[in-house]
Amino acid sequence: MAEIINVNRISKNYERKIALSSLSFTVEKGELVALIGPSGAGKTTLLNMLGAIFPPDQGEIVISGKQIAEMTDQKKRAKKIGMIRQQFDLVGELPVIHNVLAGRLSDWGVMKSLVSLLIPQDKDYATAALDRVGLKDKLYERTSKLSGGEQQRVALARLLVQSPEIVLADEPVASLDPARAEDVLELLVNIASEEKQTLIASLHSVEYARKYFDRLIALKNGELFFDLPSSSVSDDHIKRLYSLKEHS
Amino acid sequence: MKKRKLNFVTASVYALILLAAGSWLSIFTVENANLSTLFSQSNLMYASKFFNGLFGIGEENPAFFNAESWGNAWALTMETLVMSIMATGFATICALLTVVPAARNVADGSLTLVKKWHGRISFGFIRGGYIFSRAVPELVWAMIIIFIFKPGILPGAIALALHNFGILGKLCAEVIEDLDSRPIRNLASSGAGRVQILLYGVLPAALPRFLTYILYRWEVIMRTTIVVGFVGAGGLGQQFKLSMSFFHYTDITLLLFFYLILVFAADFISEKARYFIK
Repeated sequence: MAEIINVNRISKNYERKIALSSLSFTVEKGELVALIGPSGAGKTTLLNMLGAIFPPDQGEIVISGKQIAEMTDQKKRAKKIGMIRQQFDLVGELPVIHNVLAGRLSDWGVMKSLVSLLIPQDKDYATAALDRVGLKDKLYERTSKLSGGEQQRVALARLLVQSPEIVLADEPVASLDPARAEDVLELLVNIASEEKQTLIASLHSVEYARKYFDRLIALKNGELFFDLPSSSVSDDHIKRLYSLKEHS
Repeated sequence: MKKRKLNFVTASVYALILLAAGSWLSIFTVENANLSTLFSQSNLMYASKFFNGLFGIGEENPAFFNAESWGNAWALTMETLVMSIMATGFATICALLTVVPAARNVADGSLTLVKKWHGRISFGFIRGGYIFSRAVPELVWAMIIIFIFKPGILPGAIALALHNFGILGKLCAEVIEDLDSRPIRNLASSGAGRVQILLYGVLPAALPRFLTYILYRWEVIMRTTIVVGFVGAGGLGQQFKLSMSFFHYTDITLLLFFYLILVFAADFISEKARYFIK
């Protein structure tokens, strides 16, 4: 398998607080990686830098052999990297179909985007994606009327339409109850493996991380705590990762 | 130590109480004011004369029993309605055309993740325009514009629109500043350009709130038409002023009646429409 993400000694500080210090790892194409660690360990910061929301203070991130700092074209970057967060990603006032078709905006010009708000364009993409996430009947429903789990499925449908090579998920199921959380997570992982996408997801739940992901990267206080295949992560590892006493 | 220190809020409450007591004291002792002078015999006579006039007592042909006056008042009411709608329309169009660069989070690029060199300049320019246009009261705008054009409802509508353009622009820009930035940034990360973000992220969230402000301003404009009418902007206000000058008191009753209906109708419509939007 080919290397798709190379993170080389990146650091990030907020004011005086160190968010990440000298972090390095590589991810192969098609890998399913879970980021775990206590709150404030730097998981969200790492994902935001991988998604080019802001650059690292030091170090470099290379995606498919290209420096992320040089990928300035938003439209091309969207084909490479897609993001999903907690359920506040969607425009609540719009019907579901437009939120899903927003994944096509990187391919559309301004005129087509405008027309699409009146007469939905490329509708097949949207229906296929919504069918895949099990919300085929909600095509024209107002997005804010959907439940949290359904909204997260709509966000997944948008990602399907966008179809990036790398999916970054920042606490994708944090605001859902356990049953729906597992449901959405399973869908996310299944879609990623079927579409041959590389998935990096930060998670609160170690249980889900071990169950659904191949590889676990644990962060603590901005540093790499361990980076292991999920089968070789022991309970002792987890206990030490989340223990409060080792905080300096 | 810390407990005894007088903080700013407590100090200003004490100052407020002291100031209120002092003001009333000075009114009665220094100014020597007396409420009973308002209710003098002569004032009572003027008041009774005016109200008798309004109800048409002792009048041979009161306007509210005259079909022609009714028709006339109805035409003026329609004129006023047209003026208020025109004013709201002009103000809305101009505000919508300028509102996007006037939002602080668009100007500094934090909403759309795109920063343009002219962001700050156009922000300052448009916001300055808003302040100027709403700092001048409707009445002053109307006097200036009627000085230039001939009297009528179009200059009246322009005057009202000029003042409300500044108000609507500021309110709508603040709506954009208060938008939840998460869905919008997410659109940016899924590859949407500046205009696409506007179409898919900003407008759907902001338009319903714009509409509530527009309807509310329409209500206010409807009430203000009578003020600009006084300086010759047409409609019920102008006729009100004329009837007052000619001592046609029963005309005033009729005009007030139509005016009240108009204001109630505007209140009712905008309230229902706002309810419908939510």
